[in-house]
Amino acid sequence: MTAASAGVAGAGRSTAATVRRRLRLTTLFALMVLIAVVMLYPFYYMLNNAFRTQTQFDQQSGHSAVSWQQLFTELPVWRELLNSTIICVTAIALILAVSTTAGFAFAKLRYRGSGTVFLAVVAALLVPLQSIIIPEYVNLGKLGLINTYVGAILVYVALGIPFATFLMATYYRGISDDLIEAAVMDGLGYGKTFLRIALPLSWPAIATITVLQFIQIWDDLLVGLLFLQNPQQRTITVGLAALSAGRTTSIPVLMAGSFISAVPAIIVFLIFQRYLVRGLTLGMGK
Amino acid sequence: MSAIQAAEEAAAESALARRGRGGRRGGVGSGRLARRRRRAGIMLSLPAVIVVVGLLAIPIGQAVYYSFTSWDGITATWIGPSAYVSALTDPIFWRVIENNALLLLSIPFAIGIPLAIAALLHEHVRGWRFFRSVYFLPTAISWVVIGMVAVQFFALSGLMNKMLAAVGLGALQTDMLAGQYTALAAVAITFIWSMLGTNIIIFLTGMATLDQTLIEAARVDGLSRWQIFSRVTVPLLKRFIQFSFVITVISAFSALFSLIFVMTNGGPGFGTTTLEFFVYQTAFSQGQFGTGALYGMILFVIMIIVGLVQLRLIRSEDGEGW
Repeated sequence: MTAASAGVAGAGRSTAATVRRRLRLTTLFALMVLIAVVMLYPFYYMLNNAFRTQTQFDQQSGHSAVSWQQLFTELPVWRELLNSTIICVTAIALILAVSTTAGFAFAKLRYRGSGTVFLAVVAALLVPLQSIIIPEYVNLGKLGLINTYVGAILVYVALGIPFATFLMATYYRGISDDLIEAAVMDGLGYGKTFLRIALPLSWPAIATITVLQFIQIWDDLLVGLLFLQNPQQRTITVGLAALSAGRTTSIPVLMAGSFISAVPAIIVFLIFQRYLVRGLTLGMGK
Repeated sequence: MSAIQAAEEAAAESALARRGRGGRRGGVGSGRLARRRRRAGIMLSLPAVIVVVGLLAIPIGQAVYYSFTSWDGITATWIGPSAYVSALTDPIFWRVIENNALLLLSIPFAIGIPLAIAALLHEHVRGWRFFRSVYFLPTAISWVVIGMVAVQFFALSGLMNKMLAAVGLGALQTDMLAGQYTALAAVAITFIWSMLGTNIIIFLTGMATLDQTLIEAARVDGLSRWQIFSRVTVPLLKRFIQFSFVITVISAFSALFSLIFVMTNGGPGFGTTTLEFFVYQTAFSQGQFGTGALYGMILFVIMIIVGLVQLRLIRSEDGEGW
């Protein structure tokens, strides 16, 4: 309506239009700022209140660093950050090893029934964690893997493989068959062709999987809660949730812990944002 | 994540492979090289198959078996289909299903709000790239952390009640987490907020793919901005809206555990216990593994139904397209 009527107006229309345009841009900008405040509020809240004592928190005035010291006595922060890192890195390495090879096989080395096998692997995406968590707990318990890194890592790997394999297969399908065949003709063999030709070409997909899985595993609660009940092996996210469930820890301490646990994921996010976006929107484009 | 879409594409791919068998290079052929390729293919895909079978397929089979037993983790007694009868006639189960159904009411907001925000960013006002990053940032942090801040936000002395008082609605001040339905609403609001980043990115990606000439043509035809948005942009984004719908529904059913654990622990009463949380409570708090597995199976069936609905949507849309 506005745009149309502006078109018919005569003299002075350029200044009126400019004013209207300015006004509109200012309004849009103000809206964007407002939404940014809503999105950033939790970060501000965590930091602001982490620098308080419980009394200061109750009165909502004054700041101090006491709660940070308290956090490190109530929660084995360094230990749990290390646990998170070990579990993330190992699980991601395994997911990448399994999904790149399988993705390459499904895309380039078809065999009788490989299409069906691929479909079955991808269909496993539909299985919700809660539907298999009980058998998983029983099976890994029988193997003595509860409260070990290995148990939790296996569950994360199982949950990560279907999507990662799908993503890798999609990516490898984009590489020309001729390139692969030529390498094989040159005597590289399929294994070496994969390692030296295909794998280096697929680093963007690998980056996508890495960042998606990092955030998923770092932020996970349920698997860690069940498979890492021992504070010595707990991840930072699980440790934090357990601390909050205890209802004895002061809110500023919880906020300090929340902030620390979020920092690594935020750093990874800021570095690999591009790949995260790609991963989230993949599987949709045609 | 994009479970259904991925499965759909995989199915198409496997059909394609079947059709193309024999004729295509890179397909299944004969000869020494082909045999070597087949062997390499089997070897390289084997680890993935082993993981999926051992850690996903077999456990699903076990879960089916467990669901027909009364089992506390030590002794399992087969009770057959009557396990389902008694579980499905449990009023608490229906209370839990009611919670899941009520949570679905948040879906229109969890999709509509990010759609509007994406449209705002798509205006490409100065600084929009920066704001895009800011809006997306919360997707990096754990829902455990988000839940912890949300508890403080909804507390009687929290920001929400302060804002109510500030705008003269002090009479509405309430401790939302203390009432069954208000607590569920608080979880739903937090859920909507948590989904914003993901859905904004989906819609923004969609808008970037739009044919700009169509928008331009609508403008020339004298349509207002709102008309262009509702009659041109939104219909063109159908695929992306569907995708976001599926992701949001799947999350509502199977990703709320952390939020609920931290915010309400399923309470007050069973006010915020959803099916996925009920599986955890039944199995690991009450030690009834059999019943827990049963509820897990019901969740699985619901997921499959969501998947089938999505497949139908895609099919019908393709039908129109041709």
